[in-house]
Amino acid sequence: MAPSSKAVKQAIHWMLRLRESGNDPVLAQQCERWRNTQHEHELAWQRVTSLQQDLDLRAIPGAGVALQTLETSQRRLHRRQALKLLGGAAMVGSASWLAKDLDTISAWTSDYATATGERRTVHLPDGSLLQLNTRTAVDLAFTEQQRMVRLKHGELMLTCSQTPYKGQPLLVQSRDALLEGFEGRFVVRQDADCTRVSVSQGRVAIHHPGTGELQWMADGQNWRIDALGAQRLAQVDMDAAAWADGLIVTRDMRLADFLAQVSRYRHGYLGCSDDIADLRLSGVFRLENPDQLLQLLPQTLPVQLRQRTRWWIRIERVA
Amino acid sequence: MPSNDSVHTLYSDHHSWLNTWLRSKLGNAADAADLAQDTFVRLLQRHEQLQLNAPRAFLRTIARGLVIDHWRREELHRAYLQALAHVPEGQVPSAEARELLLELLERIARMLDGLKPKVRRAFLLAQCEGLSHKAIAEQMGISLRSVERHVADALYHCYLLRYEDER
Repeated sequence: MAPSSKAVKQAIHWMLRLRESGNDPVLAQQCERWRNTQHEHELAWQRVTSLQQDLDLRAIPGAGVALQTLETSQRRLHRRQALKLLGGAAMVGSASWLAKDLDTISAWTSDYATATGERRTVHLPDGSLLQLNTRTAVDLAFTEQQRMVRLKHGELMLTCSQTPYKGQPLLVQSRDALLEGFEGRFVVRQDADCTRVSVSQGRVAIHHPGTGELQWMADGQNWRIDALGAQRLAQVDMDAAAWADGLIVTRDMRLADFLAQVSRYRHGYLGCSDDIADLRLSGVFRLENPDQLLQLLPQTLPVQLRQRTRWWIRIERVA
Repeated sequence: MPSNDSVHTLYSDHHSWLNTWLRSKLGNAADAADLAQDTFVRLLQRHEQLQLNAPRAFLRTIARGLVIDHWRREELHRAYLQALAHVPEGQVPSAEARELLLELLERIARMLDGLKPKVRRAFLLAQCEGLSHKAIAEQMGISLRSVERHVADALYHCYLLRYEDER
């Protein structure tokens, strides 16, 4: 069912207020309450935020000249139409042009989703706790036979309820793997080329796609799973669960990798020049204001920020 | 969905006329041939029955939309290249990034078609430049309330276009 125009207008109103306030936490809470009062509200919200992301120029390098390009071309187009085509008659647009990529559709058909920089906590019917990190979409399928969380994109943390729940396994399906949580807490992240799993407490199993055999992952372990199989990582350069506390915690992480992580929490282009990509970074960084976090970099590394627009930041070596 | 027969009849009766009409607008035979072809493809994709009382007016309506799309693309490319000329060397985006941006700009430009200039401007200042509503009000010399209304109106307009098919 499509949401009513009233719900859509309210969703737009909330989205703009939040954006203007710089994601004020009190307002964010009120907005979340509004989303939770009716399913229609949530659906309208999903659509409006995905539309907003559709129209988001900031994620694309070189968008600094977008406004000028749009305004200039529009003026010229009008002149051309007036001169050569229309002579004042009404304009005719073709409306079925808009590409609908899969992520966009998945965001508003999902049961729960988060926007860029948003984190969200969902209490599942069995008492488990589901936390969603930035730009994440999940579906829930809780049936008589199983409890399934489908991670469509992004990252989640699942804290399994203490008691077994009606004998139904608690499953997480990502693009690359079917996981089963038995106890404790674990993080699953869907990357472009693989799924990453980190177990904070307890134990988790990967279901082997062919045989159904279980591969166990224990406390403190990190795994990488792709089409070729599951592989335990000896060492990781980032604490996989720190985001749930609003932090990025790195150990000897490449600057380029660090920036790729920070990009997940903010709009726009963020990158660095090749000659500093391999500089290493260790530390604890607060996520609540990623742009402020970036200002800290020149204090520890021989780098400087070049900011052309609010959404275009490039890190370069200090001359 | 119109039957292939009726489109076929339209094609054989009016294709060369449409071609000539398009060439007079575009001044280019190759583009005209492409858009004439596209016009008939659009017809085949339509869901409703064809209204054949005034076939040429009908074809012209579709072709006109395609001509505008074509020009919009051209103007966007031209304006973008001119804007890039002022970007410092070393910060010029890659060819791939440029294509991506142009594609998105085209989508946005089409979506904003038909909006009042002030509504459009307020929306773009918020969307492209990331200005706060207050800063937009100052720059445009209008009230904060108007800015808020304009930005919300533009988004709602885009929403209707974007989700038209699902309603």
